[in-house]
Amino acid sequence: MSESLAVGNLQAWYGGSKVLHGMDFSVRTGEVVTLLGRNGAGKTTTLKSIMGLLDKRSGSIALDGDELIAAAPYDIARKGIAFCPEERGIFASLSVRENLLLPPKVAAGGMTVAQILTLFPNLKERLDSQGTKLSGGEQQMLALGRILHTGARILLLDEPTEGLAPVIIRQIGRTITELKSLGFTILLVEQNVGFAAGLADRHYIVELGRVVEEIPGAEFEGRSGALKSYLGL
Amino acid sequence: MTTIFGVPSAVLYGQLLLGLINGAFYAMLSLGLAVIFGMMNIVNFAHGAQYMMGAMGAWLLMNYLGIGYWWALILAPLIVGAISIVIEVLLLRRLYKLDHLYGMLLTFGLALMVQGAFSNWFGSSGQPYSIPQALMGGRNLGFMFLPNYRAWVIAASVVICLGTWYVIERTKLGAYLRAATENPMLVQAFGIRVPRMITLTYGAGVGLAALAGVLAAPVYQVSPLMGADLLIVVFAVVVIGGMGSIMGAIVTGFLVGVIEGLTKAFYPEASTTVVFAVMAVVLLIRPAGLFGSKLEAAQGQPQSSLSATAPSTLTQTLIFLALACCLAAAPLVVYPGFMMKAMIFALFACAFNLVAGYGRLVSFGHSMFLGSAGYVCGHAAKIWGLPPEFAILAGTATAAMLGFVTGWLAIRRSGIYFAMVTLAFAQMVYFVALQARFTGGEDGLQAVPRGMLFGLIDLSLPANLYGFVLVIFLGGFFLIMRLVGSPFGRVLKAISDHDARAQSLGFETARYKLVAFVLSAALAGLAGSTKAIVSQLASLTDVHWSMSGEVLLMTFLGGVGTLYGPLVGAFIVVAMQNYLAAFGQWVTVIHGLIFVLCVLAFRRGIVGELIEFWHRLHRTPPAKPAVLHNVAVAPQE
Repeated sequence: MSESLAVGNLQAWYGGSKVLHGMDFSVRTGEVVTLLGRNGAGKTTTLKSIMGLLDKRSGSIALDGDELIAAAPYDIARKGIAFCPEERGIFASLSVRENLLLPPKVAAGGMTVAQILTLFPNLKERLDSQGTKLSGGEQQMLALGRILHTGARILLLDEPTEGLAPVIIRQIGRTITELKSLGFTILLVEQNVGFAAGLADRHYIVELGRVVEEIPGAEFEGRSGALKSYLGL
Repeated sequence: MTTIFGVPSAVLYGQLLLGLINGAFYAMLSLGLAVIFGMMNIVNFAHGAQYMMGAMGAWLLMNYLGIGYWWALILAPLIVGAISIVIEVLLLRRLYKLDHLYGMLLTFGLALMVQGAFSNWFGSSGQPYSIPQALMGGRNLGFMFLPNYRAWVIAASVVICLGTWYVIERTKLGAYLRAATENPMLVQAFGIRVPRMITLTYGAGVGLAALAGVLAAPVYQVSPLMGADLLIVVFAVVVIGGMGSIMGAIVTGFLVGVIEGLTKAFYPEASTTVVFAVMAVVLLIRPAGLFGSKLEAAQGQPQSSLSATAPSTLTQTLIFLALACCLAAAPLVVYPGFMMKAMIFALFACAFNLVAGYGRLVSFGHSMFLGSAGYVCGHAAKIWGLPPEFAILAGTATAAMLGFVTGWLAIRRSGIYFAMVTLAFAQMVYFVALQARFTGGEDGLQAVPRGMLFGLIDLSLPANLYGFVLVIFLGGFFLIMRLVGSPFGRVLKAISDHDARAQSLGFETARYKLVAFVLSAALAGLAGSTKAIVSQLASLTDVHWSMSGEVLLMTFLGGVGTLYGPLVGAFIVVAMQNYLAAFGQWVTVIHGLIFVLCVLAFRRGIVGELIEFWHRLHRTPPAKPAVLHNVAVAPQE
């Protein structure tokens, strides 16, 4: 399998304070990879700095060999990376339909609205509601749905299970499995280790802005000791 | 002839039509302001000047190139919009992460520059612009005569407003705009070029103002200052409507125009002030505005304090004594008239700094305290024959009371809204001063007697007068110095840092703000009263909004939130006025330029930058950043 996204020695700053101290990891085409770690370890920051949303970043972010470290945020999305932010980022002043259609197409082959609505049938009835009037779970589906529309093949998902009921979490899990089977490449940030364990091909443990350990999905159960010490489970 | 409530129906319909015309311009301008504010977090103070540029542009095209109305309707907005795009790229872009007030100050400076330059080139008197051939004449509707051009203006503005509303609320482009207003970073992450969108939005908003200007050219006289007063009314409209909603801006614009028209028909004396009265009522009942819902958004984010750290009490006292000695000895080398004027303005600026620097309530209406105190003091001394000490006391008390009433209403809002509200109230006071009999209207109160202080000291003697001004200035300055260092001053700074946090500590923040505002108003009134005695004149200049701009300039140039900054700034600005008087209107341009430079290059002001330099020299970090800081980006994981 080829390396789709390769991040090397990534450093990033919020204003004057340095948050990432050299992240190294990679995601291969078609893989689901998670970043695990405690609060404040730098997981969300990693996703944001891949998208170019931080004040300053350095190191290397290569997408199929293309260097993106100096690219502007709006160019990064156009290379085929889609971002689903923490807390979903649904726009209150837009209807569900407008939210769904907001991200511009970046490549051919994105899902049609009909396909997205088949994937998330709950949204069908609510297309004309205000975006933030949806329940948390529906908002999460909307946030996922709108990036599937764009044709991007790499999805960065930031805590899609945050604050959701277990039944919804299971549904999100099934969706991610389905997306993987459709050939999407997924980088997932999670606090919910149980959720991540069932999904991912590989896990990276992040601490203090660095990757400290890589755990293949198959070894996850056997390495619970190491996980406990890192994540304080 | 039929009458309605005692007013001839023809008059009533005529005034309603005029009200609708005014309302059309209010609507188009407040719409542009709302769109620009939504995208850029900048209150575009240059909006009035850009409206004027549209009208002047049409006039220039007609007179110099022979290009007529219909082409001007397209060309002028394009040209003015293109200029504004250059301004956005070169200047405004640097301010997005800073406090909203900087955007307001920068655009205010730009407005001064543009208006000053146009006044120089074309004179400040109005130029006629004729109605295009096709729209001459009018039709009789049976109950009134409707001039074609007026009907066209109303129809065109309704179409423009609804068109803008449609684009923003119903199209894909509008969805991008609304999304970028909420969360520009995320919209960028979807691959949309938000910076370019912001630039174009500014261009479009300004183009809308210029288009309104072209439409206005045949209705009003075309003059360099036609936008300045209009903009203040538009600010009041914005406060009444709330900036959250596009439709709200349109409806409020027309509504305010109609209310004005009705007032003109039934009670013409109040027609210029009714807008501001409506604003006061709305502030009482619905502080967020009729269509505003998000008060938090309007209140601005918590910000780091403006104020620099103060030196120890001993150093302060020593500096104060040295200052007193210098000022006392100054007439030996400097023209005393200049010194007195500078000291009066320094007191005014220090009073302003008390709320703007330490309370972070940047008032755009402090001229009302200076001016109204001057009028009352002048009136008391001249007509009632009171001795100067009582006349000054009366002036100061008036300013304090005015400060109490306006402050009580204004502190319901903060940040840029506070600035707009105070500006609107000051404009109301200006109109009262213009119309009331006891102020002498355009002539002002002249030959105010200086009199005998305490019945003993003859203030007509230059040395006595100088000593008197010196004592008043030093007294006021000392009071401010002690206030700032007192527990009250600390609470005020805490509130300006983070209002909600100060509240959670148990402080009644509104009361602190009000006390500070009243004190500041009273001290400004003291300066105004003294000014009336010294210059023997109370005039409209002192209540005009440009005076509020001047005190803002002095304070920002010297260093807002520093003790001595306003003093330094006042001396520099007064010196500039004295020595650059030969340049006439160009002084306004220079003022504007200084505003722009201050905002772009040295936001701490002269004294603030010196303090910073001193700290760097001694490698002691200042305890707090002495500048309105970036909107804090909370580090997330």
